Amino acid sequence: MASSTGAGEGQQIRVNFTTTLPDLQLPEDKSQLLVPGDIKRYGLSRVVNSDAMLNTDSPIPLDFLINGTFLRTSLEDYLKENGLSFENTVTLQYVRSLVPPIYQASFEHDDWVADVDVLSSTSRAGLWAGNSLPQGQDRILSASYDGLLRIWNMSGQVIATSASTSSKSFPSTDYVPAIKSAKFLDATRVASAGMDQTVRVWKYKEGSDKLSGDLKPTLELLGHKGGIESMDVHTPSSRILTASNTGEIGLWTTSASAAPDAPESALLQANPAKKRKVSVSSGVQKGALSMMQIHSGPASAVVFHPEDSTAAYSAGQDHTIRTIDLTTSKVVHSLTTAHPLLSLCSVQGISTPLLAAGTSARHITLVDPRVSATTTSVMTLRGHRNFVTSVSASPMDNYSLVSGSHDGTCRIWDLRSVRTGSKAEGGGSVSEAVYIIERESQKGQKKKSDIPGQGCKVFGVAWDKQWGIVSGGEDKQVQINKGSDLLAK
Amino acid sequence: MAPRSQMKRKASTAAAEAEAATFSDDEFGDGVLEGVLSDDSEDEENSDDEAEDVDGQDDEDLDSDEVPSDPDVDEKDDDENDGPRYRVEKDANGGERYVYDEIDPVYDSDDSDAQDPENTIGNIPLKFYDQYPHIGYNIDGKKIMRPASGKALDALLDTIEIPKGWTGLTDPATGKPLNLSREELELLRKVQMQEIPEEEYDPYPEYVPWFTHEEETMPISAAPEPKRRFLPSKHEQQRIMKIVRAIREGRIQPYKPPEEREQDEDEEEEMYDLWANEEAQPPHVMHIPAPKVAPPGFDLSYNPPPEYLPSKDEKKEWEETDPEEREKPYLPQGYDALRKVPAYDTFVKETFERCLDLYLAPRVRRTRLNIDPNSLLPKLPRADELRPFPTVGAVEYNHGTRVRSVAVDPTGQWVASGGDDGAVKFWELRSGKQMASIRISADEPVNVVRWRPGSAILTAAAGQDVYFIISPLLDQEVQQANRAALDTGFGYATNGKQATLTSNGARKDPPGTWARPGARLEDQGVLLKITVRADVKVINWHRRGDFFCTVSPTGKHSAVAIHTLSKHLTQIPFRKLPGLAQTAQFHPSRPLLFVALQRTIRVYDLQKQELVKAIQPGARWISSFDIHAASGDHLIVGSYDRRLLWHDLELSARPFKTMRFHPNAIRQVKYSRSFPLFADASDDGTIQLFHGRVHNDLMTDPTLVPLKQLKGHKVINNLGVMDIDWHPTNPWLVSAGADGMCRLWA
Repeated sequence: MASSTGAGEGQQIRVNFTTTLPDLQLPEDKSQLLVPGDIKRYGLSRVVNSDAMLNTDSPIPLDFLINGTFLRTSLEDYLKENGLSFENTVTLQYVRSLVPPIYQASFEHDDWVADVDVLSSTSRAGLWAGNSLPQGQDRILSASYDGLLRIWNMSGQVIATSASTSSKSFPSTDYVPAIKSAKFLDATRVASAGMDQTVRVWKYKEGSDKLSGDLKPTLELLGHKGGIESMDVHTPSSRILTASNTGEIGLWTTSASAAPDAPESALLQANPAKKRKVSVSSGVQKGALSMMQIHSGPASAVVFHPEDSTAAYSAGQDHTIRTIDLTTSKVVHSLTTAHPLLSLCSVQGISTPLLAAGTSARHITLVDPRVSATTTSVMTLRGHRNFVTSVSASPMDNYSLVSGSHDGTCRIWDLRSVRTGSKAEGGGSVSEAVYIIERESQKGQKKKSDIPGQGCKVFGVAWDKQWGIVSGGEDKQVQINKGSDLLAK
Repeated sequence: MAPRSQMKRKASTAAAEAEAATFSDDEFGDGVLEGVLSDDSEDEENSDDEAEDVDGQDDEDLDSDEVPSDPDVDEKDDDENDGPRYRVEKDANGGERYVYDEIDPVYDSDDSDAQDPENTIGNIPLKFYDQYPHIGYNIDGKKIMRPASGKALDALLDTIEIPKGWTGLTDPATGKPLNLSREELELLRKVQMQEIPEEEYDPYPEYVPWFTHEEETMPISAAPEPKRRFLPSKHEQQRIMKIVRAIREGRIQPYKPPEEREQDEDEEEEMYDLWANEEAQPPHVMHIPAPKVAPPGFDLSYNPPPEYLPSKDEKKEWEETDPEEREKPYLPQGYDALRKVPAYDTFVKETFERCLDLYLAPRVRRTRLNIDPNSLLPKLPRADELRPFPTVGAVEYNHGTRVRSVAVDPTGQWVASGGDDGAVKFWELRSGKQMASIRISADEPVNVVRWRPGSAILTAAAGQDVYFIISPLLDQEVQQANRAALDTGFGYATNGKQATLTSNGARKDPPGTWARPGARLEDQGVLLKITVRADVKVINWHRRGDFFCTVSPTGKHSAVAIHTLSKHLTQIPFRKLPGLAQTAQFHPSRPLLFVALQRTIRVYDLQKQELVKAIQPGARWISSFDIHAASGDHLIVGSYDRRLLWHDLELSARPFKTMRFHPNAIRQVKYSRSFPLFADASDDGTIQLFHGRVHNDLMTDPTLVPLKQLKGHKVINNLGVMDIDWHPTNPWLVSAGADGMCRLWA
């Protein structure tokens, strides 16, 4: 390898291999090496994996970072392009090679899918459930525009479907209130909220064969005056947060005994004299712990503070992200952005916890929610071509997230790769998507409209360690893509 | 004889004429001078033989019929005079006998018959040879064949039957013998003879002397001959005198020696090199030397290297481009030998153009007006600085048939659209999900849908009916409130009272009938219906949500109607309007009603019941207008003649600004309620967005900046975008297209 060669036979370059991976450290004396100039990523990977170097059992595919960027050409070409000297030692940082989010499966629905949630041993609900979660009970919960909840198992079978709960004010209309948000509370409970202004808590029971189960409503929470767009749950404190079209944020409890009685008007409305067609016993009707008028426009998303269940963040179409103290029901802090916000999730962030908010202006704004923060917008993730209606943080690390948009794609973002925004982008720090997940249902189909994502809008996305990236949308499908080892460590 | 010869001479050639004139006076003495004259003529004959010969011939030609052959006799006499060829002797009877000399055949005279084939059969009758093909033998012993007799030739010719029009040629087209008719043959003959082949063409028509020297009794022009015809021209005299003077002074030499002229011509043909003496001039600003032809490159070689030769595509491209736009005026071509190079076909043209370029191209430095064209434009802020405004299509709502109207509900969550299928459809604004569809009319298209301000009641007009629809998307509490709002009017029972009596006592139809629409529609949320007298095209609500006005352009006296929801009352405020009403709208803050006729917009005060103002936009046919909500003093007007007009009501009745951005009619104009934006919808399928900021101080003009053209709707049957509506809180726009699509632009 390090044999001396003639001048005509390509340049030899001295490289220095480094890594931050603790399990793949090279011995100190082997890190310096002479390699031929025309070597590429694969060759370098083989060199590092060889017996003399790492001596791994099975070759580990590696990527090489040179000055912070991935090496995609030959080493010689890279040096020539960047005008670097061939005499100096080149430092190559090697990381594990990445695999794109491969398509895994699609689950067919009857109507558009508004939201998805996952239950697995690594998901939030699974962690809350703790030991009560049976082994291998990995489930997907999907909320659909036909007003039904469905629970799916790994092989794409519907285990349980909720009963229709809609009550019609006008018998002949074909209007069915959609369920806009659904979450697993734990292994046996599910919460849902939608355009019928009601939050429902369902009891989910599975048969012994694990192929059938049923969903029974146990609690009906009334009090919102507009359709509910978003919901977040915190099982340890039995709290549910909802964001409604009227700009109100509701705080509810999942325990029927602790919940206050439902307001008279809401009860009256939920039980109109004779027109109501009760298809299923809806359980106990209760009211909200508190109903907060937070936003001046429709509230589009609300999330609990990741560490503190007594605080919450909400985003609205009035361009604001507000921090709410739930014990006092007061707005603690308000951040104003430039665009209507449509989705929100909290990201651990590399140094400080951040909030990622999807906007109607086709990008994701990352904001620092702390009161002491000097700048509102930390970073902008650009690349979507339509409304960003859903964001979800990675469960594996603290710097990546996935977003679903009306343009029919899910995009995976790495907060570590940052560039300075151009003037047209308004400056600031900008990042671009690492991977783009297209809808599998649209593969090979002709584009119907000049509007991106027409017919395959993504409404909900969830990222779980076991399930991967689960997304549902206008194409009436829940699509699952592989979600691990996507980004460099 | 003498007078005749004289007459002949008169008609003879000019040479004889001059001589004849010398004695023309002698005609008087006819008989006396006969002898003299004859003598004279004889003298002349002797003196001018040649002339006389010509005369004689001419005479014969002319007078051969009349004149007896006297000259012949004369000639004979002349011959006899030469020498007698006979002797006169006395015969036996004593009579005269002419004895001619024996003719002496000269030896080499040509009366020999030796060349004829001589038959040598001797004195044998020819009938002996009757049975032989020959008739004897010649001197060489060869048979002399019997000549073909006329009878045999005729017999042979008779055996060959020539068809009519036979030419012996073959028609190359058909391969058959070419037969020509008599007419065709005649035509061919005429062509061969170089005659005009046309039939009945007379090459020598009778000459009609229209203008003659003779005086006509009925002349074409009766104008008397002008005097100048009879006077010598002074001008000509002057010119002649000028030449004469020049000749006298020697300036003109009439007889130049020819050799000198030839020499001059030789000198003139010498060529000059225009730039032979040209010296290198010192560089000067105004001096521009003639451009030099670039030296030939490799590609001009007769056999250039292959990389210079054009490929097939390049060749095609070169041939297709306009000669003026070609990068090179030639195409490099390769020949393997110099002798194969053809003549350069554009040599003359190229040389000529080069000469033209050198000779005609004015090499003058031009001083241009040094004005930056951008500085002439008004200073407008850049569109990027005026964000936010809708830029791209975000959601599409597929209504199915042509959408005539679209409206965003006051909360900004729902969109209602009404189309040609008579259905009103409700959509979720953000997701584009169709939530409900109510078919309010089976055959009439839904012309307009409008939300009642501050509530979830939708008014939709189909035909002559206006329907009130309670949105099924909202909760029961709101629906109950809306239901109550619609039903309160039933207590007033205005329907009966409204039917007034006319002057002659007949019951008049009420201007509007308020009723329930029927069980089917009531089950779907349509709870109230007003029927007016003509098709309703426009609905506009008053901001309080109790009054609204409808406009039916076809209803003559009841075109504009104002309805009160709380009392179920319909009123017709105008008995007569000076034109067809197009649209009407309430002022956002004051009790004014704006009614747009075809060419004017009239502003009425509803409290004082009087005309406040008449606005003249100058458009030929107004389609729509909108009033600026915040100030109430500004107005945009869209017209079918493609104009968008901005009015400042305080300023003038004439438009403040006229904008033409569309090639087709403008259907709808709308101000945004929450942003300084406005937009128009046009039949060309585009929406033009404007920034329109109205300043608070009255001194500053409003800022109008065209921002963006939103394209995406297809044009179907010359209809593009039918209606637009702004989102109440966000800078979003919803448009309805003739292609059956509604779009949200964000």
